[in-house]
Amino acid sequence: MRISRVKISNFANFSEIDVETGESIVIVGENKVGKSNFVRALQLILDPGLSERDRQLGLEHFWDGLGEDKLGETIEVAVEMTDFTGDPRLMAHLNDCVVDPGPPMVARLTYRFQPKANLGRDPESLADYEYIVFGGNDPEMSIGPSLRRMLPLDVQVALRDAEKDLSSWRNSPLRPLIEELATSLDEDARAEIQEQVNEAQAELVSHDEVVATAERIGQRLIAIAGEQHAVPLTLGLAPTRVDALLRSLRLLIDNGARGISDASLGTANLIFLALKSLELDRLVTDGERDHTFFVVEEPEAHLHPHVQRLVYRYFLGSGGDDAEQTPPLTTILTTHSPHIASVTPIRSVVLLRQDAATNATIAVSTAKAPLDERDEADLQRYIDVSRGEIFFARGVILVEGDAERFLVPAFAEALDIALDMLGITVCSVSGTNFTPYVKLLGPEGLNIPHVILTDRDPNGTKPPLVRRRLINVLRLVEDGVNYTPLDADAVIARAEAFGYFVNSNTLEPELFAGGLAEAMQEVIEQELSIGQATRDLIQGWVDDTDSLDDEQLIKVIERIGKGRFAQALAPHVDEDACPDYIRQALEHIRDAVT
Amino acid sequence: MPLRSVSAAYLAEAGDLAGNPGQQAAYDSTGNCVVLAGPGSGKTKTLVLKLARIMAEDVRAPRGAACITYSQECARELTRRLERLGLREAPNLFVGTVHGFCLRHLLMPYGRLADLPVPFPLAVATQRQSDQAMKRIGDRLFGVGHPNKPIDLGRHRRSVLDRTSIAWTSEAELAAWAEGYEAELRRLGLVDFDDLVVFGQRLVSEHDWVLPLLQAKFPVLAVDEYQDLGVALHRIVKRVAFDGGVRLFAVGDPDQSIYGFTGADGALLQELAERDDVERVQLQLNYRSASRIVSASEMALGEARGYRSNDPDRQAVIEFVQCSDGLEGQAAQAVAEIIPAALAAKPGRALGDIAILYRDYRAGDVVAEAVAAAGFDFVRVDTAAPYRKVALTSWIEDCAAWCSGGWREARPQLRGLLDRWLGFHRTRISEVQARDESQRLTQLLWSLRVEKGLARDFVTGMRADMLDALMAAEPSLADQREQVDRMSAALAVGGPLADLDLASLGGRDGSPLHLNLLTLHSAKGCEYDVVIMVGLDLGSLPWRNELPAARRESRRLFYVGLTRARDEIHMLYSCYVDTGRGRMHWGRSPFLDELEARMEEAEGE
Repeated sequence: MRISRVKISNFANFSEIDVETGESIVIVGENKVGKSNFVRALQLILDPGLSERDRQLGLEHFWDGLGEDKLGETIEVAVEMTDFTGDPRLMAHLNDCVVDPGPPMVARLTYRFQPKANLGRDPESLADYEYIVFGGNDPEMSIGPSLRRMLPLDVQVALRDAEKDLSSWRNSPLRPLIEELATSLDEDARAEIQEQVNEAQAELVSHDEVVATAERIGQRLIAIAGEQHAVPLTLGLAPTRVDALLRSLRLLIDNGARGISDASLGTANLIFLALKSLELDRLVTDGERDHTFFVVEEPEAHLHPHVQRLVYRYFLGSGGDDAEQTPPLTTILTTHSPHIASVTPIRSVVLLRQDAATNATIAVSTAKAPLDERDEADLQRYIDVSRGEIFFARGVILVEGDAERFLVPAFAEALDIALDMLGITVCSVSGTNFTPYVKLLGPEGLNIPHVILTDRDPNGTKPPLVRRRLINVLRLVEDGVNYTPLDADAVIARAEAFGYFVNSNTLEPELFAGGLAEAMQEVIEQELSIGQATRDLIQGWVDDTDSLDDEQLIKVIERIGKGRFAQALAPHVDEDACPDYIRQALEHIRDAVT
Repeated sequence: MPLRSVSAAYLAEAGDLAGNPGQQAAYDSTGNCVVLAGPGSGKTKTLVLKLARIMAEDVRAPRGAACITYSQECARELTRRLERLGLREAPNLFVGTVHGFCLRHLLMPYGRLADLPVPFPLAVATQRQSDQAMKRIGDRLFGVGHPNKPIDLGRHRRSVLDRTSIAWTSEAELAAWAEGYEAELRRLGLVDFDDLVVFGQRLVSEHDWVLPLLQAKFPVLAVDEYQDLGVALHRIVKRVAFDGGVRLFAVGDPDQSIYGFTGADGALLQELAERDDVERVQLQLNYRSASRIVSASEMALGEARGYRSNDPDRQAVIEFVQCSDGLEGQAAQAVAEIIPAALAAKPGRALGDIAILYRDYRAGDVVAEAVAAAGFDFVRVDTAAPYRKVALTSWIEDCAAWCSGGWREARPQLRGLLDRWLGFHRTRISEVQARDESQRLTQLLWSLRVEKGLARDFVTGMRADMLDALMAAEPSLADQREQVDRMSAALAVGGPLADLDLASLGGRDGSPLHLNLLTLHSAKGCEYDVVIMVGLDLGSLPWRNELPAARRESRRLFYVGLTRARDEIHMLYSCYVDTGRGRMHWGRSPFLDELEARMEEAEGE
């Protein structure tokens, strides 16, 4: 079973959101955008630990944008679930909640905080409000705690005090494991342990020094209170009963040298998650739950980036394609770490961001982006930590490779367009296949403004390669256009309106001709030990840029590496040297995000 | 916390089944099972124990079992017996009528999704609304005073499910009336009880996706009194069991099918029992009646069933008594001779162990007058009773039982009373509200406890404090409200039950001090030491000139009457009946002639 859709209205940061979700959910967004409130909204429906009082909301829970007009409004959270028809127990739980018989069958649970039904007047205060949780389309199909108990949302909050949780026996996720251990010990094993403990005890207390110390204390006691009031004293271990001993077992780290309290916060968190994960397995095996929606808020806290990625991979990794193997668990994570984004299954991203116009948080997701299997695989492979930034960006500049990745920010700075401040990320697609990225960022996906910078790539007598490349992308964003009669320049002109910009050749020769010839010569001579002949050749090009041999120049640069070359060239760029297509793209994306 | 909280009380009782192979087989069945249960064969006990076992061993919440039975009364009896085994109604245990099942578990959750042509939210017409609509349309179609009867309309709607069939159109007037009536209900935004079942049936027949959902919720479906349920339920049962994989446990006795006029058909159970994928269990042992009564009943039925009495040595009385002065004379004979003799015949026998059975309420009036004149307290169950038994009136009676002393020994259990109260709300209510209402109700019941008091004061108190508010808030209770109003009217000063005390209201079922007056139909499922049947004349039982099918049903009705008796049967007749056209000397019931001849033949051997 999985959550397939979440709708929230008038709650906290959310005026109105409606987002479809995938197998697991990774909620991505900047601080304060409402990641935790998204989780709170789910808790209103599914968390068995919330009290009735918690579900009776306050004015502060209404969407801020309502201002003074909160009274009279209704807060609503709806969660749709699907993929439960394989398990009759889940079907039985969700029986009254079905809103679409499918296939796939869809069930919906709704929380509503509303003015009392038979009030007969406008509500005057929140005392006139009530909450209902119901299944399906019928508000009378009320959902009780038994469903929440069996299909609970289990939230591990951010920055929790793992050390404290582990040291209190009552709340410790270690406790059920120890109790299970205690009941699984048979009588013989108990007897044996008991005997060994007794022996150790006897040995210890009969030691001369121990006896002597006890006597010293005893004598002092007599001296103070007299024979009559003093109780006989010995020194010994407590407790010695097997069950009590088992309860006093503690997790130790570093080969038993230290307890959890000495561990770093990160280690304690990690151990806590491991125990929690074991507990979830047990609850399902024991039939105390039929499904768990396991929420971990910002598990990256205190964790080393590598460990962050491992933890996320563990919790997001599904049990394979075999439905029997899939644990009855839906993982929901929140994060603002690009490390996480880089390992997130591409279909699981739910992106929260603030809409500048309304000040409300909006939500978009990848679940329904028109990606095919190859696109998904491509993105999954290519989205690394630096590309993970696109999930957090307000605008994205898609470029072909590292050269643009280093030079475009330099030109932006020269043009006084502050990319970081505007939240614009430059993302290299390592090639020319922009399609999956456009699908991901387009209106049916994350809906993030983006531009493309690409080379014309002439192709002899045939049309330049960029024509086909742009047509592939244009097909995603406009309908019903017949591109066959359009030549390359017509296609390029069409594409500009969408923010796709093309140079007249290839980046480096264009820069060379556009005013950076001397700077490029300098970089080449710095980075490469070249012979006099090549020096002369380059000098010739510098003297007369018309004599430039494009292919020859690129060969030279490739010896340095395009990326490294671009990095070295970046400090030399200025406004005048900025090629038109880069300027157009930068201005386009700047206007789109402001 | 383990969720298996089902009491193990059933295990102790299940030990009793060991001596009865049929009951044991039913109890041990693991697949579809049909139990053909003769009179007094312990069918309810078997069903209740099997349900308890299923709830404890075979299903785990939220999955559960549904048990459909013929009437509210039957459901109440099952609930009461399940309660004694520690099982209460829960979200995963449904015990109720086919209407209740179709409403709550088919139409409410799935009706909208299937786009059924009925108005949502569902509102069930009260009896009065339904009667008025039926009359309005009938008068419009056929003129005032037309000969078509509502009962035939009902039967036609229930028994012909395919509206395009010849069976439907061949009765053109009924078909037109039914269609007009249904359109009228829809215009008012209503459905009636028959609609619930008809649309429930359509839902499971036409929408495959309903089956796995239903199977998920109720992997087991039990049906009691199968012979009294109609073809619509039969289709539902076959569809969910044989297409949907729901395990079926059906109980009934085709010989006791006496609701053919409503569209019921005992042959449907027979059809299920003969399937290869159904285990057929026959219960042979009669725990109720003396040997002679068991064999006399079989002779009256005219079929060899091979039933045996559990107590072959017990003595029985079987009397054919001719009385002068018609029905009045028969009633007088019962009151003056038979009842005093029966009371004297066995120490400890009380009026509550005796029943007078008759065919309809008109005969009931005659008998009631004679009984009242003789100064006997009595309970009367027929359509002329002061109020009809519905869930709400039954609940009031049980509350009365609790308040008049039942609270000392938890009979009935308070928890059960509270749960039933909560169940009167159309849907599940919030926890807070449920807790609050339970608390208020407990306080109210506690305050209404008296040792001696009038039933009137109790009902007035219940209504004023909680009941009226509930009935006003729940439109679905409108029909039951009519009966509560009739109850209040009967208890009012000058009403027929004005002097009824609280304990008697609570003990109106099986009160030891009240003589039982019932129609033969109402007597189904009951048992008495002494059964007095009156009106066994041709022209009454059977009616004169009955068609063969109707004659067979009359015979089964006679059989049902006979099989109610443990020790004594008194069959009273006059050889004539009084009709609108005067006294008709048509002779006594041919069933009596046959029975007497066969008994003589058998006992002469």
